[in-house]
Amino acid sequence: MIWQFDLLILALGVLCALASISLKDLLSAAIVFGAYSFLMCLLWTEMGAVDVAFTEAAVGAGVSTVFFLAAVYHTTRTVKPRRRGRMLHKLVGLATAAGIGLLLLSATVDFPTWADPNSPASVYLSPYYITETIPMTAVPNIVTSVLADFRGFDTMFETSVIFVAGLAVLAILGSYGRRQRDYEPSPTGKDVAHQSPIVQAACRVFVPFMQLFALYVVAHGHHSPGGGFQGGVILGASFILVAISYDLRVMQRRLRERLAMLFAGLGVLIYSGIGAICLLLGGNFLDYSVLHTILPATSPIMARSHGMLGVEVGVAFTVMAIMVIIYVNVASHGKSDRGL
Amino acid sequence: MEMLLAKYNYWIYVTLMMIGLYAMIAKCNLMKKIIGMSIFQTAIIVFYVSMGAKKGATIPIIAHGHGAAHEAVRVADYVNPLPHVLMLTAIVVGVGTLGVALAIAMSIHEKYGTLEEDEILERQE
Repeated sequence: MIWQFDLLILALGVLCALASISLKDLLSAAIVFGAYSFLMCLLWTEMGAVDVAFTEAAVGAGVSTVFFLAAVYHTTRTVKPRRRGRMLHKLVGLATAAGIGLLLLSATVDFPTWADPNSPASVYLSPYYITETIPMTAVPNIVTSVLADFRGFDTMFETSVIFVAGLAVLAILGSYGRRQRDYEPSPTGKDVAHQSPIVQAACRVFVPFMQLFALYVVAHGHHSPGGGFQGGVILGASFILVAISYDLRVMQRRLRERLAMLFAGLGVLIYSGIGAICLLLGGNFLDYSVLHTILPATSPIMARSHGMLGVEVGVAFTVMAIMVIIYVNVASHGKSDRGL
Repeated sequence: MEMLLAKYNYWIYVTLMMIGLYAMIAKCNLMKKIIGMSIFQTAIIVFYVSMGAKKGATIPIIAHGHGAAHEAVRVADYVNPLPHVLMLTAIVVGVGTLGVALAIAMSIHEKYGTLEEDEILERQE
């Protein structure tokens, strides 16, 4: 790492964070927040956390900015100027933040030096993962092997959390399960052609490559940064791009909400199903090495690698579907008709 | 200077965290509170990733392929992957919670016609 870079990115990040909470225009605040996320992504690349940076680039700088824009579009764009009587509120906020900040700063005195190879966090457990990932799983990307194998339980429940988040958005906003509400024709009478043809043509060229890249990211996560989470978000983003540049209905003709929900459930089922198959074959839950008895021409070590690919595909299904569902519901206020 | 270089990363994570916390408490607009929540979350991620950094180490992907030398893996050569795994899933779960938070804010706006906290309280009475 290069501390000059690090300091510059951190300083810019703090500036963007301050700007995004103080701007009066919520649209600008959302966009500045996207810039902030991108700076964080650079910061993590610089500290060597390439998988985290990849996720942040896809999620923080990409999809969550779109979610913010969609929510701002359906609510209000401006923050009302404050009336009197908010001074106390601000003081309490400042005092709490400053108090907790001082406590945390005083705790940093006891921290190990930044980037010290012998810091306690780096000498316990993680050396085991670093040295054992190739002999035990044949997966060079340590993050993938820890994510999908060594800590597979953790990731299974994270996937379930994402599934539940999608269900929650549907429960709060959605019309899922009810009859589709009548579609209101747009005031101009045009259905699809209200967007720029340049954007639509560009989107038509981009989307296949995006989806191909997403599949590559899912499948190649063992050897390079990436995996089910990143690939799933990119796949979801390709559908969101169609929905933005054309219309929500054009996208839903390709991926209906019901189908997306089915995919989301299927992803969790694939993940836990692979765990259950391991159980049936006499191993522990999510112990992929026993899969070599049913997979042709594999050793127990390669079976762990293949098992990881299986659960990554499950993760990608769920993440992709839930990103699409959240977007559809936030962008159409639960009506799933026209979108932005 | 030594002291600054040793700790500045942690100081800035505290600063970001305080910005997020302040926005969550003091800002009146619900959308700003949600942005504050996301900033708070990234501050925690900065903290975790900073813990995993190692001087002179490379990204946590073991050198492989046809040209790579097949020698024993040295732990000091690779940054600590464990915080990366934890934070990677945290980011994706974070976007899920962001979606839920935005959905709640939109329902509130539908019912009360505003995103300002004090106006919502007034209209509740």
